[in-house]
Amino acid sequence: MNRTALSLLGLATFAAIGEVAPRIGLVPAAYAPPTSRIAVALADEAATGRFWLALRDTVLTWALGLAIAVVAGVVIGVLLGAVPVLWAVSSSTVEFLRPIPSVALIPLVVVLYGSTIRSTVVLVVYAAFWQVLLQVLHGVADVDPVARDTARVYGLGRWARVRYLVWPTALPYVVTGVRLAASVALILAVTGELVVGSPGLGKEIEVARQSAAVPLVYALVTVCGLLGVLANVATRAVERRVLAWHAAVRTEVGT
Amino acid sequence: MRRPLVALFSAAALLITTTLSACGSSPDKPSTPGQPDAVDVGVIAIVDVAPIYLGKQQGFFSKRNINLNLTTAQGGAAIVPGVVSGQYQFGFSNTLSLLVATEKGVPVKAVCNGNTSTGKDGEDFGGLFVKAGSPITSPKDLVGKTVATNTLKNIVELSVRASVKKAGGDPAGVKFTELPFPDMLPALQAGRVDGVFVVEPFQAAAVAAGAKKIASSFVDLAGNLTISMYFTSKQLATSNPDLVARFTEAMKESLAYAESHPDDVRTVLGTYTQISAEVRAKLTLPKFPADIDKASVQSVGDQAQSLGLLTKAPDLNLLP
Repeated sequence: MNRTALSLLGLATFAAIGEVAPRIGLVPAAYAPPTSRIAVALADEAATGRFWLALRDTVLTWALGLAIAVVAGVVIGVLLGAVPVLWAVSSSTVEFLRPIPSVALIPLVVVLYGSTIRSTVVLVVYAAFWQVLLQVLHGVADVDPVARDTARVYGLGRWARVRYLVWPTALPYVVTGVRLAASVALILAVTGELVVGSPGLGKEIEVARQSAAVPLVYALVTVCGLLGVLANVATRAVERRVLAWHAAVRTEVGT
Repeated sequence: MRRPLVALFSAAALLITTTLSACGSSPDKPSTPGQPDAVDVGVIAIVDVAPIYLGKQQGFFSKRNINLNLTTAQGGAAIVPGVVSGQYQFGFSNTLSLLVATEKGVPVKAVCNGNTSTGKDGEDFGGLFVKAGSPITSPKDLVGKTVATNTLKNIVELSVRASVKKAGGDPAGVKFTELPFPDMLPALQAGRVDGVFVVEPFQAAAVAAGAKKIASSFVDLAGNLTISMYFTSKQLATSNPDLVARFTEAMKESLAYAESHPDDVRTVLGTYTQISAEVRAKLTLPKFPADIDKASVQSVGDQAQSLGLLTKAPDLNLLP
């Protein structure tokens, strides 16, 4: 059997356990409904416009937050990495801000922006930004000193050094940062919706919970899981494309 | 020695810019002449707010030149600051939260009723339940036991205490623990708590699961209990009394409509909650009178004061 078949077999077994456990009374069916009921709830929900709007909002929040975090992380990372005095000034601030969990900012964003997508995007950016920034900083620091000196000797300007030396060295790190940021961003997008109440799947989970619609809660959680899988597959595909030239020296092989 | 100093300076600069940008972003909506006023209202996606959804659907707000936008928040904790900061022009919150907020100097002003208990013992939209087969038969048996409340030191806890007192028990002897409504029934069935107070649709679920109702605590707290109200900020009440008056009128019309069209209430519940059609058909609805029952607010305030949830006599200036 090949890998795909084995993965599908694993999933099918998982679904079967979910189906059987509540039916034989191992877990209370009222709070852990069998897989088939969850599937029915999901199918019913997918027939409503409300579900697709929520899905769109979650994807939008995720993509917007991730895009802002990546652009900001790369620009600021290259800048801080390339200009030592800037890093000396900001490193303590970065080390102070970075460990603050994004969810700890929830009370702040609620007061600032209320239950809006903006609130959740702030959380997503805050969490994802550090992932990218740190990878970029490592990447910039990884520039081969001999290559750097050579570039200087040959009189490459600052911009040319970033373009032909720093950026190619840092790119694999950047891509890793983006991949890490993508999953963190999804976690924060759903958490924000769940807790802040901004539109999206997380909010729909909370509404279903408040409505005692248990199978629907599980159905929506499943959709969040599928989104996570998709996000990972997509970032890995991008990674393979962007780093095609680099694949030979990479020790990590995309799956 | 220079580096830490520079770092400290930059951290301070960052903090100042963040604070400044935060202060500058307080949203203020100027109304354009001829355009309907955009009004944001913070609500909770529960049965209690059905009238405002119904009123929006029926056009009671648009005919008063109000473009109503309903935002569901996670409870009064997010709505009160939202109204005070101007994110929402109006909000929905329970009576005791508003009394406590007023006592703490939070500038809020109630505009009309939100929802009211049915006032009928045994037929209210919320109730105090114990597990099937539990030896507890009266609220006074809960002394020394643990009861789940959605928020500690709020209207539900106060109501349960009122039930215990009415049944002849000492309310100070009941232990309370905080659990969200959706988690209460599982906790009761697993024996983690001895009693729970749930509102619809969880009351319907509790009945279906065979739990025993031992009191209608809202009824025990006060007759015709005004459980929640719609409110605005004092600032908006003074700066735009016309808008507040139009909103109040529309809201009162919505409440009256909801009160006389229970089937429409059950239908509209399907648009903003995920309560299943079967449950919607049989759940007990609250009452939706347009006016606040002042005597019940006074009574809530007095009982809250006697338990130390309020430090002084309730400030009824909150009411319209």
